[in-house]
Amino acid sequence: MNALREFLDDIVADTDAVFLFSPSASLYQSFEDDDTEVVVIAPENTVDAGTFVELPLEFTNMADRIRFGVEGALEQEYVEEDADVVCIGDVFDDTPDSIVRVQVAEFSPSGVYGLFVNSRAEPSVINDVLDVAVELGKKGQKGKPVGALFVVGDAGKVMNKSRPLSYNPFEKSHVHVGDPIVNVMLKEFSRLDGAFVISDGGKIVSAYRYLEPSAEGVDIPKGLGARHMAAGAVTRDTNAIAIVLSESDGLVRAFKSGELILEVDPEEY
Amino acid sequence: MQFDWPAIVRSLFSREAVTAVAISILVLGVLLAYLAWRYMHYFLSDAGIDEAVEGTAFERTAQRFGTSTVGLIATLVGISLYIAAILLAGAVSQRFRDVSLWSPFVAYLPNLFVALFALMIGLIAGDKAKLSVSEKFRSIKLPEAELLPELVKYSIIFLAGLVALGQLGVATEALLILLAAYAFGLVFLGGLAFKQLLSAGAAGVYLVLSQPYSIGDEVRIQGQQGIVQEVDVFVTHIESEGEEYVVPNDQVFAGGIVRIRG
Repeated sequence: MNALREFLDDIVADTDAVFLFSPSASLYQSFEDDDTEVVVIAPENTVDAGTFVELPLEFTNMADRIRFGVEGALEQEYVEEDADVVCIGDVFDDTPDSIVRVQVAEFSPSGVYGLFVNSRAEPSVINDVLDVAVELGKKGQKGKPVGALFVVGDAGKVMNKSRPLSYNPFEKSHVHVGDPIVNVMLKEFSRLDGAFVISDGGKIVSAYRYLEPSAEGVDIPKGLGARHMAAGAVTRDTNAIAIVLSESDGLVRAFKSGELILEVDPEEY
Repeated sequence: MQFDWPAIVRSLFSREAVTAVAISILVLGVLLAYLAWRYMHYFLSDAGIDEAVEGTAFERTAQRFGTSTVGLIATLVGISLYIAAILLAGAVSQRFRDVSLWSPFVAYLPNLFVALFALMIGLIAGDKAKLSVSEKFRSIKLPEAELLPELVKYSIIFLAGLVALGQLGVATEALLILLAAYAFGLVFLGGLAFKQLLSAGAAGVYLVLSQPYSIGDEVRIQGQQGIVQEVDVFVTHIESEGEEYVVPNDQVFAGGIVRIRG
């Protein structure tokens, strides 16, 4: 056991901060009285922590969660860029079962935190759209896989860089993403071609839009289809972000400034 | 139809039996009061009253006296039942010879309890309202903003006090006039202060419903030209070349809209 203990001591030695992922109140209490910096990363601040990073998604993958947490903590200046951080979280169950040491300096930011927090649209809106896309990916349209493209934020500019493929079913309607009816509605409309345009405040401005940005200089992984190319291009041309559900591989991807930022598998949620 | 129950009891039983009945009424009253006290405790806790009042000044004061809001209400109910039983027993056995001395007080009792209850609810509701208002204003770090929750709290306590005093039959005309003046001031000054917001909202309802322009249109409102990014009830966001104008909706109406068709 001694070897194990020493190894564990090595892992937690000289850490600047402890990241607690969805901690219980008692766990947080025991760390709070300690003199190391404690950052809580959870979907909700249930323990009233002063230093808190909100998780917009229930990332099932621990690495994704850590990535988001570290980027969020850096952005909010809870930790320095050369800090050593120990993350305590759960891989399998809801009880903390793993300790991960991360060196913030050797960490290449993917921009996943910025995708949510530093975009034009409100984080809750992006979150809602992502939820809808994941939901759509899980269920599909009548059991068949569907694809969908949501352009979120900077709607005025996006509308000017696109044209209608047909009549806009959302004209003069006041539907916001996050409304309970939207899941059903978008599922029906997802059989339509083209993109959904959603404003900063979450209003669904239009469906059936054909995006016409210039795809010049868009750098997205090869092998992705026209839908992804359009998504990447429109986010490079405007300040919008794009969330794409791929019809072929069923993954949900998020683009910002022409780059692929986030990739989640709906089946994992 | 009103029965004189004590008289009926007295005519039915002998003198000793009446005393026995009176005593049993007393015992039953104590039992009933205790049961009511227990049940109220259970019922109020079950209804989440103790959680709802947690943190209010009233609850804290109650706790300093070794009880709680739930306990106080339950005790109040218990005591009222107990007193009712005592009075009933007294009436049956005719113990209290000089009834005329008692009856005004007896008639007054229910009012007293209602008044106490109203005061209690007022205090708790005032505290609760203060908490929820200050919760709303917590993000606003402004010393003046702390005045508003207090104002809300004392308004509610004032109303509760008025109800309680009205129950007790105290002359409340002066206080009512004060209330009227206060309400008038609130409505008048509030109307004055919210004039802009109200007219913007009224214009916004039209804009949102009939959508003379929608997101993506290029418009000019009061000299500001740009692309509409967002329309809500109070304001319209227009953006052009990195500049975003937030135009109140009443301005849209006052100045009209120019839609630019390219």
